[in-house]
Amino acid sequence: MTLAGGGTEPPPPAGRPGPGGRRIRQIALAWALMSPALVLVLGVLAYPAAWEAWISLTDFSTRSARAPAFVGFANYARLLGDDWFWRALATTVLYLAVTTTAKLVLGIGFALLLSRPSRLRGAVFLAVFLPWAYPAAVTVIAWYWMLNPPLITSYSGTIAILKQAVDGVLGSGAWNFLSVLLFNVWRGGSFMGIFLLAGLNAIPIELFEYARLDSRSAWQRFTAVTLPLLRPYLALAVFLSFTTAFADLDNVWMLTGGRIVFPVIGTHAFWLAIFGGDFGAAAAWTLSLVPLLALGLVVLFRWFDPPEERPA
Amino acid sequence: MAQVLMKDLNKKYDEVHAVKDVNLHIRDKEFIVLVGPSGCGKTTTLRMLAGLEEITAGEIHIGERLVNDLPPKDRDIAMVFQNYALYPHMTVYDNMAFGLKMRKFPKAEIEKRVRDAAQLLGILELLKRKPRQLSGGQRQRVAVGRAIVRHPQVFLFDEPLSNLDAKLRVQMRVELKKLHDRLETTAVYVTHDQVEAMTLGDRVVVMKDGWIQQVGEPLELYAHPANKFVAGFIGSPSMNFADVTINDVGGTVTAETQGLRLQVSPAKAAALRPYKGQTVSFGVRPEDVHIATGADPAHYTFDATVEVVEPLGSEILLDVKAGAVTIVARVDPTVRVKVHEPVRLAVNGDRLHFFDIKTEHTV
Repeated sequence: MTLAGGGTEPPPPAGRPGPGGRRIRQIALAWALMSPALVLVLGVLAYPAAWEAWISLTDFSTRSARAPAFVGFANYARLLGDDWFWRALATTVLYLAVTTTAKLVLGIGFALLLSRPSRLRGAVFLAVFLPWAYPAAVTVIAWYWMLNPPLITSYSGTIAILKQAVDGVLGSGAWNFLSVLLFNVWRGGSFMGIFLLAGLNAIPIELFEYARLDSRSAWQRFTAVTLPLLRPYLALAVFLSFTTAFADLDNVWMLTGGRIVFPVIGTHAFWLAIFGGDFGAAAAWTLSLVPLLALGLVVLFRWFDPPEERPA
Repeated sequence: MAQVLMKDLNKKYDEVHAVKDVNLHIRDKEFIVLVGPSGCGKTTTLRMLAGLEEITAGEIHIGERLVNDLPPKDRDIAMVFQNYALYPHMTVYDNMAFGLKMRKFPKAEIEKRVRDAAQLLGILELLKRKPRQLSGGQRQRVAVGRAIVRHPQVFLFDEPLSNLDAKLRVQMRVELKKLHDRLETTAVYVTHDQVEAMTLGDRVVVMKDGWIQQVGEPLELYAHPANKFVAGFIGSPSMNFADVTINDVGGTVTAETQGLRLQVSPAKAAALRPYKGQTVSFGVRPEDVHIATGADPAHYTFDATVEVVEPLGSEILLDVKAGAVTIVARVDPTVRVKVHEPVRLAVNGDRLHFFDIKTEHTV
């Protein structure tokens, strides 16, 4: 922000400003107009990210009285030998793969249902929109109570049997993990449906009409026309799903009541930092996702949205 | 190759009755053009023929088949859309091959048909490109080529030239005409451009407000419009109109208004005599008005004042005022007149048009 006004330039002569002075004023105005956004980006995104990157290289801990010391990549090195890390990573990737696939299938289905005019369209739209429109915290608690009834209800016996069966086969905590998956799909599927509907609506209608004239079946139209035309939107939708799944903490935490048996990276980092006070290690945990996300981004946009195939 | 028959065809949306009792027999190998202002129902009619719109009432036959309930894919038609509807993710070749691939044609046959069509349209060297790398005219050709390779019974064109610039439009118009002569396939072509309609159509269907106004060969529509709308729609610049009173003095029928008094030719006199003392709508085309010479009989001439001179090179358009009536005359480029000058003009007496003031039908 100190650049505002271009202080090194000589001030314009008194009276009518010359062309140079006018330009300086325009630049100053541009910076001034940008400053709220810049403050926001720098303060809320850049500074915390930089701070996190820094403390991941230190042994910063709230349990230690001395000042944090620079330890280089020790926190990262420790990760590689940590079974918990690999387990959490595997869980995260599984979580991501299952939820993204389910949400994609659901989302495409919703979008297709909503894109064609029909009498049920209003009802479908409402059904699709509601999970996404309700506040997350409210719905999380509703799901938590539904799957872990706090009171004796008509179905609490059934749920208890189911929960024991699932945990018995897949290990303790599996039921909670399953409920996290379900919740993510329920909530994210509707978002993806609305997102992809916007994508469908952005595609010129003649492209679909032409397909109706020249293809033999609805399946042909879907695979040869709809899916390829939706690819750029699919790429973005999948990426959004990736980032939310990677970063997911609150939903997992609330749905499992903090009893993390199947930790994802986010919840474990939270555990380490907030309960263990070990901020340096926690930062390393979360930042370990950055290369994975970057790789995902590159692959997705290469695969789904090759630059030479974007509509003119 | 097939004839198309539309019987009492109607399309109603919730509020709008878009197509009203359309009856049309399109002959085998005919190039027919539906023309009219926007909202006249021409595109809706075409889309019902394609199967993209449901038919509210009536029948459509393609060849011997009633196609009302056939999905578009089974109607054996190919359509060229206004915005070409090329798939951005496919090459020109794949776009052209799309319909054949979907219909599981053998590869060699697809290749042959695409290459033949590309050759015909002069786009062989573009086959590997993507649509966004093409100019408007090239995209247009690809869209036409995609229809040709299908060897359909009927070609449907939905304002295919309206996205091209004026020069290219004229060029593509000629090419489409040549193409039709060569392929001899029935074609239905929708446009709002009357010049396109006149130059392309074996017959032209003029529509307005969902009704067919007139069906006929281009020159027939031009010379004998069925009503005032067709008279005004066909021809550019459009026909001059004025309200006139019909008089009958000793067997000579005249049409008069302030500043204009013209005799009605004997051929029309009989039809107009019943309108004696009444007002009718009078029409004369700009090309039927010229600078009067000694050879023009006095009862076909009138005095006017020049208001605007528009020299177009091959001709001059004069906006003149005769009494209260404004008339556009299309005169020889050698004529030298100035604004505000008086001129004496003459009409071609046997090319005057009269329309009933209420029904607007030709008298």
